[in-house]
Amino acid sequence: MEGKPALLPGGPRCEEMKPPKRITGPRVNRRYFLGAGATASGLAAQPAATPLVLITSAAHAFAQSLAAGLQTGYRIRMTERTRVATTFDFVECPLANDLATRSLVRGVDAILHVAEPLPEDDDWRKIEYLTRGTYNLLSAAAAEQVSRLVYLSTLEVMTPYDADFTVSESWQPRPAPVSPVLSKHLGEFVCREFARDRKLRCVTLRMGKVVRHGETAGFDPLWVDERDVVHAAGLALQFVLSSAGAAAADWWRVLHIAADSPRGRFSVAAAQRILGYQPKYAW
Amino acid sequence: MKVLVLGAAGYLGPHVARALAPEHQLLLTDIRPPEQKPAHEFRLVDASSLDQVMRAAEGMDAIINCSVVRQGDRAAFAVNAGGCWNMMTAAVRQGIRRVINTGPHFTVAGPSYEGFDFALSPDAPPQPGTNLYALTKSLGHEICRVFTEHHEVYVLNYLFYNFRDLRGVSPRDYSYLRPGSDPVPFVVSGADAGEAFRLGLSVDLEKLPSRCEVFFILADMPHGKFRNDKARKLLGFQPRDNLSALWRKTPAGA
Repeated sequence: MEGKPALLPGGPRCEEMKPPKRITGPRVNRRYFLGAGATASGLAAQPAATPLVLITSAAHAFAQSLAAGLQTGYRIRMTERTRVATTFDFVECPLANDLATRSLVRGVDAILHVAEPLPEDDDWRKIEYLTRGTYNLLSAAAAEQVSRLVYLSTLEVMTPYDADFTVSESWQPRPAPVSPVLSKHLGEFVCREFARDRKLRCVTLRMGKVVRHGETAGFDPLWVDERDVVHAAGLALQFVLSSAGAAAADWWRVLHIAADSPRGRFSVAAAQRILGYQPKYAW
Repeated sequence: MKVLVLGAAGYLGPHVARALAPEHQLLLTDIRPPEQKPAHEFRLVDASSLDQVMRAAEGMDAIINCSVVRQGDRAAFAVNAGGCWNMMTAAVRQGIRRVINTGPHFTVAGPSYEGFDFALSPDAPPQPGTNLYALTKSLGHEICRVFTEHHEVYVLNYLFYNFRDLRGVSPRDYSYLRPGSDPVPFVVSGADAGEAFRLGLSVDLEKLPSRCEVFFILADMPHGKFRNDKARKLLGFQPRDNLSALWRKTPAGA
């Protein structure tokens, strides 16, 4: 896994592009590939028939891990609100309501919306990115006939329940009114309305706290290994890309992704049953 | 009671101010002054600014949020959702227990309800759909609801759509609401809307079913599409203005 990607100052931003007379493909930031990684990029190596997946929040190290883990099965395009150095194809985009966001999603087969704010975001910017950013992303997707989405949320929206309860995906979320958790919950809200209203096929993965097994001390019942989450995200992408039914269950599913451990707080039975999720790491 | 009104210069604000003026001390706020000089203190406050909302809320007993932006994604999210974040943050920090938030009826009853069903109740799970105005207002309401689950603050969420201004209180043009015009079937007179706020400031909060309750505020309608019985039961709301002429083919007195 690479370290945290670097944010690069300056340079053109997609919001500064002159409006094109007609929309062409997204502007791919090939100049910022890193050395040998460029030749190994998923987009360059994969045939065009391989599904193209847009991964958001490229500044987040976990998004880079997802891209690295998925590149053997997918062409990868990454995006962020600010410039990011990455070995993958990258488009800087603020997710505004404009042609740049439509250009970003054009030709994409599925979106993996990591939905992580930037470190410098204040409370409202966190919420705004997860609500307005998601709204504009999905509006653009609907306009470009991109109808497959995997949205990454957090199991922390369920933690206020008594730990003795077996809390499943059918329980009502109870997020705390703090921006990191509430923003994820509101992002789910936006995705759900697009699933219902625009027939977007969406799988929401509520993840535990993502860590690396062997690099942790103590114990947290919400831990889930990063490699298991990458595995789950891949399965969820397969699910949304293969689902073609008209039933509401094909449009909207929420699944809990955690370690499969008796000490864990939340069951992963639904993810096992529906996706075939088989986590390898437990505490 | 000292009451902060956010968005007081819009469609609804003048009706609210008129109804509350005899009993309450009002601080009316908006991003621009009202078209008619208000009888109460007025201050320029942008609901999307936490600092401004926080300062305006100092010393208040209740907050009424009538602020709204219907178009433009940045402003709509900042005011309709962010305004609720700011309002609830201010309420919690300053110990204000009573909040009345407002929005359109499709904050709850979006196209998936309104296009399909009848006898619609405000207690249905929200399905605003993806309309910018509806969804941002619904997110604002959800922010309010989440705060009430974790803090001792009560939110009455009033949902409206059309206002019939029978007394010329608002400078807004409601001329499209003519007898026989068959408008969106969710209408209340301005006076009855204002009365709902007076009732909301006096209702015993401890007797509400929860700390966050949603109300459809509308006149008695002949079509049975939406129900106002929850507002009647919990607030004592009794709409006085009969607006059924909006759906009559024969003019009154003919």
